[in-house]
Amino acid sequence: MNIAVSEPGTAAPVGEKSDRELAREELTIAREYIGPFPVFMAIWGLGNLVCWLALWPLVMTGTLSLWIAFPLATLNVVLCYLPSHEAQHSNYAKSGEPLRWLNELIGYVSTIPLVLPFKTARITHMDHHTYTNDPERDPDYGVKAANGWQAILTNIKRRQFGKPNSYLVLLRAKAEAGDETAKRAMAEAAVQTLSFWAILTALAWGGYAIEAALLWWLPRHIGMSYISLFLSWFPHHPMNEQGRYRNTRHFHRWFGNIVSLGMEHHIIHHLHPGIPLNRNAAAFRKMRPILEKRGCRLEG
Amino acid sequence: MIGKLLQAIGPWGPVLFGIGFLAPLIAQSMEALHIAPPFGLPSIATGLAIGTLAGLIAKYRGSWV
Repeated sequence: MNIAVSEPGTAAPVGEKSDRELAREELTIAREYIGPFPVFMAIWGLGNLVCWLALWPLVMTGTLSLWIAFPLATLNVVLCYLPSHEAQHSNYAKSGEPLRWLNELIGYVSTIPLVLPFKTARITHMDHHTYTNDPERDPDYGVKAANGWQAILTNIKRRQFGKPNSYLVLLRAKAEAGDETAKRAMAEAAVQTLSFWAILTALAWGGYAIEAALLWWLPRHIGMSYISLFLSWFPHHPMNEQGRYRNTRHFHRWFGNIVSLGMEHHIIHHLHPGIPLNRNAAAFRKMRPILEKRGCRLEG
Repeated sequence: MIGKLLQAIGPWGPVLFGIGFLAPLIAQSMEALHIAPPFGLPSIATGLAIGTLAGLIAKYRGSWV
C-alpha cells in the first residue's frame, strides 16, 4: 500500500492514522527497498579498492603522475567506507546465506585504504545504532561540535595518539566482559594497524616515501576527516536528542547528496538499516509523509 | 600478544613514526625539491634529525597538533 498517495475513501490520510498503522506502513515501504542484492554497492566497494590498488604500480612505474594520483587516492579513501558499512549490516548476505562470504569479503577489504578493521567497525557501529547520541554509550558521540569546521578540528584532535580511542575503549570493555568477538576484533585491529605502519615504513625506507605519503598516509587523514564530517556529524548534529525518530535528521545543503555521500537521507538508514545506501533517497521520498507525522527532523 | 606489543610501543609511536616514516619522507622530499641539506649532511641524516626531534616533541606534548 502506498500511503503517500492514498486515494480518498480507500485509506485514511497519514495525519489520521494510528501509531500502529503508521508503523506497519513504514515497514511495508521499507520492505520494498530491502529486497534485492545491492549490486551497486558491491561493485562500488570492490571497484574502488581495485582503483586504489592500481594507483601504486601506475605511479611507481611513472605511468601516472603522483599529482594526479593523489586526489584520486583521496577520493578512493573517502569512498571506501560505505560499501563496508553495508557489510557491517549484512546487507549483501545474512549469516548462513550462500553469499555470506562476499558480504564479509567486501567488509574486510573495501576499507583497506582507510585502515579500518571490519570487526571493530561492525561492533562499534551496532552500538552507535543502539545508543545514537547517548553521550556515554554512542561511540560516535565524540564528533559532537558546534559547526562543520569545529567538527573537522574535533576529529583531528580525537585522532591524536594521546587521546582515548572511543572504539578501543568500547571493545576493551566488551572484551573484559567476556565478549569473544570483541577480543577477536581487538586482535584483528592490532594486526591491521601494525601491518599498515610496517608497510608505510618499508615503502618509505625503500625509496617510496613521497608515494606512500600521497597515496595512503595523507589521503587517509583527509578521508577520515571527510567521513567523520559527512557520515557522523552532519546527519546527527546537534546530537542532543535520542529516540528512533529524532536521533538523525534529513538535511539538504548546497553541496548536494553526492558530496555528502548520500547522507541527506541517513534518517532512512537509522530507521531501516537493511535498505542499501543507493535506495535510501527513493525510500525517503515515499516514506516522507510518515516521517512528517512522526515528527522527524526534516531540514530541507 | 600483538595487543601487548602495541600497548608497549604506543607511547613511543610518535618517535617511531618520526624515524620510520617522517625521516625518509623529509629526505626524499628535499631531494625531489633540490634542497641542499645543512652542514653538508646527507639528506637522510637531516631527515632523521628532524623526524626524531618532531616525534620527541609530539611525544612530550602528547599530540602532533
